[in-house]
Formats: sequence, structure tokens, C-alpha cells
Amino acid sequence: MKHLMLTTATLMALTTMARADDLRMSWWGGDARHVATQEALKQCGTKYGHTIAAEFTGFDGYLEKLTTQMAGGTEADIIQVNWPWLPLFSKDGTGFADLRSLTAIDLSQWTEEQLTAASMNGVLQGLPVSTTGRVFFFNKTAFEKAGLAIPTTWDELMAAGGKMGDGAQPFNAVKETAQLIITLSVVQKTGKDLVDPATNRVAWTAEELAAGFEFYNQLVETGTILSAKDEAAAGGVNLFEKPEWADGRIAGSYEWDSTYAKYADPMAEGQELVPVEMLTFADAKTKGVYRKPSMVFSVSKNSKNPEAAAQIVNCLLNEEEGIAALGDSRGLPASKVAAEWLATNGKVDPMVKAANDIAMAADGPVISPFNEHPEIRGLFLDTLEEYAYGMIDAPTAAQVVIDGANATLAKFD
Amino acid sequence: MKQRHIGLAYLSPYILGLLVFTMIPFGASLYLSFTDYNLMQSPNWTGLANYWELFTTDRTFRRSLLVTLTYVFLTVPLKLAFALFIAYILNHKLRGINLFRTAFYVPSILGGSIAIAVLWRYIFAEQGIVNMALLGLGLEPVNWFGDPTNALITITLLRCWQFGSAMVIFLAALQSIDKSLYEAAACDGAKPWHSFVFITIPLITPVIFFNLIMQMVQGFQEFNGPYIITQGGPLKSTYLLPLYIYDEAFKKFNMGYASAIAWVLFLIIMVLTLVAFWSSKKWVYYAGDKR
Repeated sequence: MKHLMLTTATLMALTTMARADDLRMSWWGGDARHVATQEALKQCGTKYGHTIAAEFTGFDGYLEKLTTQMAGGTEADIIQVNWPWLPLFSKDGTGFADLRSLTAIDLSQWTEEQLTAASMNGVLQGLPVSTTGRVFFFNKTAFEKAGLAIPTTWDELMAAGGKMGDGAQPFNAVKETAQLIITLSVVQKTGKDLVDPATNRVAWTAEELAAGFEFYNQLVETGTILSAKDEAAAGGVNLFEKPEWADGRIAGSYEWDSTYAKYADPMAEGQELVPVEMLTFADAKTKGVYRKPSMVFSVSKNSKNPEAAAQIVNCLLNEEEGIAALGDSRGLPASKVAAEWLATNGKVDPMVKAANDIAMAADGPVISPFNEHPEIRGLFLDTLEEYAYGMIDAPTAAQVVIDGANATLAKFD
Repeated sequence: MKQRHIGLAYLSPYILGLLVFTMIPFGASLYLSFTDYNLMQSPNWTGLANYWELFTTDRTFRRSLLVTLTYVFLTVPLKLAFALFIAYILNHKLRGINLFRTAFYVPSILGGSIAIAVLWRYIFAEQGIVNMALLGLGLEPVNWFGDPTNALITITLLRCWQFGSAMVIFLAALQSIDKSLYEAAACDGAKPWHSFVFITIPLITPVIFFNLIMQMVQGFQEFNGPYIITQGGPLKSTYLLPLYIYDEAFKKFNMGYASAIAWVLFLIIMVLTLVAFWSSKKWVYYAGDKR
């Protein structure tokens, strides 16, 4: 009797296990991406006979969750990884499965340059999902209402400061966006990215970066953007959730091209958001576009079924079932076949396409993933806040960032 | 002998839980605090390097420690005083008193939740209800989150608002005081204020002491409020040590360094608790106390 009960219990457990999902996939995103990805997983799962558990969340907290899972070896089989995180998880190319060793993936859909960007120590650690860049979005309606043309240069943007009426600002620059505006201004003036790949140290001089901080201050003083103190008064609400954004009292921002819908959707009826060419200085050496692989799909090195995970990844990125379901939920795909399919079938939002075209066409230095290293970004943001509150001057702020960033970079020598 | 084993068997889930979820992580974090563990690679022993850095070069730690101490020394007395005040009122026989007791307790249940922290953010926002009320009274609106001093006040208020659990404990203590003591005092001509100071307070000192310890420990561990409402800003004015530990551990992956900060925080709580226990001999009165 005892044996019978034990056997029954074992069989029940095995049955349950057999019914359980055999793969897991984790990603971050907004509602549209969550819906699209779940549908794509359903389609691809049916095609290959797998059940895939979806683990999704917003961007905030995703890195922390993934880090904990990676440390414990409990990460999902298929993982959406932000491209700048690759050095964090796979400095020597062993953090994720080597995708070149998985036969189910058709790597011919990416250029060697794209695959190199997603490799660490020569080992392919992720498949680029899309290439993205920061572009300028302006509220055409708000500018028309103020009787102003949409800016095409920094001078024109600053000239619009204080002229939008009703206390409106022509532009937004908070936290990461403010940091990237400073970065953009320095890149345009110097033609150099933050990190010199040859030396693995900060490429800018303290004077060059100090000019970037001063440029930020100019934007505040001309009424182009709100001061950090006034921004904080709103309680750290996301731009796309602000009523001022919806009704055009904040009339522009500098955002990822793939996020067009996120910023356009909440706008009040009659407000039109348009992507525009990169704003530049008269003496700019480059347009300085901040372009990078937006994210990659990686396969866990701890996956019990890496070939099955590879089948699903390939389906999501290279096969019609996945391509159709995902659409442009992660921006315009990097995979050639996916980009062609979406274009042929008219599945791309023309505005997303226009924004992506701007990001792809503009010139600029190759962006180092260290721009978004948590320590460097945290240091930059903390220092920017101290500068914005008048605690330190621009030369001091620049020196603090350069010294701190170099100290972090030295850990990767 | 057999009975002893049965007893142990009953206790084993608790002992196992204590070992696995408390004692082993406790010991592990002490070990990690002497290493450079970064989650992705095996820890290397670095001796006192983390502690040395904390106390010699880390400006953020000093700032965060000062903010944490300020926060605790503000919230604990305020919250205890407010909880005692409300408990004193609710100890009177009033119509619908149970409804009021429940209503005042509700914030304690909700207070730690993310939703309330988000709500707090909207209440104190530039165009939130608090500033609207100030405008209505003819006063200037306040920049609650943009000004470093005001930001700390905002998260302090959230903590004080969650006075319900302390209040319930105070209420139970107030109800256990023998009413004849008040009657005797009144016969001797004592005013209500005198009764409160010379009868109520001394008789509930054990409960005040208990609440003091509990609130102090919880205050040092506060995370949700500042994390959601201010993210530690502006200028690190609300950057409590638990936020710093979290950022170092999960945003910068400096798990060893984060463990060192956690141990410093633990030692601070332990020392202050010991000081409180030591001082309690002078001001806490228990039943049968001959002083």
C-alpha cells in the first residue's frame, strides 16, 4: 500500500512537470510590447511545440531582478538584455550561451558589425533586436499655436524659451535625458564619444565637459527647460504621464526613436508629435547621434534546453509568426527578414519609421556601452544634480565625472 | 526522550526557517562585507577595505548616515507622541468610537504599500492637494520634493501618518490602567493634565519603551517611502541607508560593499537599542517596581 501511494505520488508529480512550461522568457516594456510578445510566444510555441512562461515588467527594477536571477542561476531561458548591460553580465563572453553554437538561429539576417556589437570577448552573447537612437520629438501643434517654427538648431530652440505662452516650455530635459543632452552637446562640439575605445578612459577634457554642463545651464536660464528644482516639484512623474506633456505645455523632448508611440499616445486630441532632424550647433563637428543596439535577446547558459530556446528566439526574430506578432513593439527590427516583412506588409508606424530614419541617417561616433554603466550613469546624474542646484560649478562637475568614470573604466582594463 | 524529539519536530519548521532565511544570510552578509563580491564573480577577501572606504572616503555614506539619523530622530518621537495623543482621545467613551479606532488604524495597514507612497507623491506634488489647500488659505505653494529640507519632511510625515500599530498598543495600555487611581487623584484635586503626567505616563512607560524600540528599528529600515516618492533626492536629502544599500547591491552590484553598509547599520541599531535598554532602568516602571 505504501509503495502504491509513493508510486502514485511520483506519477502525479511527473505528470505535473510534463505539463509545466518548458521554457521561460523575460523582458521589460510597456503594455503594447507585453501584449505583442505574449502573442508572439504563443505563435512560436505552437509552431515548435513548446510552452513558454512569460515574465515581464516595466524597465524600472528589471536590471535588479535580472542581476539577482543571474547570480542565482535562475534566469529565464530567453532573456531580453539591454545592450549596455552585456559587459556587466558577460565581461569575458561566458555570461550567456554562445549563440554561434546554437544551430537553430539563422545568423545571416544580421551584419557582422551588428553581431560584433553583441559579442563579448569574441563570443556572441545576444542577438540585436533593433538598433535605436535618441531623436528629437516636438509638439507641432504647440509650436504652431505659439507662432513659432519647429526648431532645427539649438539656437532656435533656446530662442523659443519663454515664448511658448502660458508658462510653457519648448523642451524637456530630466535625469537621463538631461545627461544625454549634455553628452550630445559635447559630442557635437568635439566629435568624440565619452569613452575613448583605444585607451578605455574618458575621451573628453574637463574643459569640454564643463562646456556641456554650462550648455545645460543655458537651457535653464533661457526658459527652454525647467530647472532641476522645479522639475523635482512635480514628484518625479514620467514625462508621458504629465498633463503638461499631454496638452502641449511641454513641447519637445529627446527620446528613443522606438518610443514614439509611448509619447504620442497620451497626447490630447489635436496635438501632433513629430520626430525632427538632430538639432546642432553652428560649429558642430558631427550630429552626434546616440545610436546603439537597443537590446538583445540572449539565451541563458543555464538553460536545460538551449536549442529549444534558440528555436523560439529565431522564430521571434526571423520567422513570420514571430515577426508579425511582434511588429514594431521593439522598434524597427535589426533582422533583415523582419525589417523587409514589416515594410512589405505595411506594419510599421510611419512616425516610428521616420524617427528611426533620422537616427540611422545621422552621423556620430560609435557609442560605448560604458555610457550606460550604472556607476558612470549614477555618478553623472548625481553630479549633474549638484551642479543644477548650484552646489558646484561646471569645471568641478566635469572633473568629478571624469575622475569617477575613469575609476570605473579602470576596473575593466 | 521520545517526547523531546516530538517537541523538536514541532519546532523544526521554525528553526529551519530561522536558519535558512535569517541566520545563514546574516552570517553570509558578515563574510561578504569583507570581500569584493559583485554577484557575477566569486568573492575575494579584502579584509577591512570596505569599512575603511566607508569611513574615510565615502561622502555618500556620510551624507546618507546623517540623513538616516535625522529621519529616525524626527520620526520616532513625532510618531510616538501622535500615536499616544490619538490613543488618549480614543480611550474616552465617545459615540462611534470603534469606527474611529478602525479609521485611525487603517493607515498602518496601507502605509507601507507602494500605492500609498505613489498617492503621497501626488498629494505633495507641485499641483497636489496640499498646495491647493495652501493656495486656498492664501499661502504660497511649497516645493515639497524639489527642496532638500521639505523633501525630508514629506517622507517623515508619511511615516508619522502610519501611527496605527503604536496607537493600538498605547490604547491597550491606557485601558489597563486602574481607574481608581484617577478617581483618587481627582479627589486630591489633580487636574486632568496632572493625572496624565503623573499617573498615565509612568504606568505606560513599559509600552512607551516597547514602541520606542520597535519604531526606532523600523525607522532605520525604512525603504518604500523614500524609494517611491523621492528616490533619495534631491541632493541625497532623503537618501536613507537602506536605499544606499539597495543601490550598491542591485544597481552597482557591489554586494560586498553593500553588506558592509548593512552591518554598520545593524551595529548602529544595536548600539542605540542597548542605550535605550540601559536608559530604561531610569525611566521605565514595571508592576511591583519598588522605586
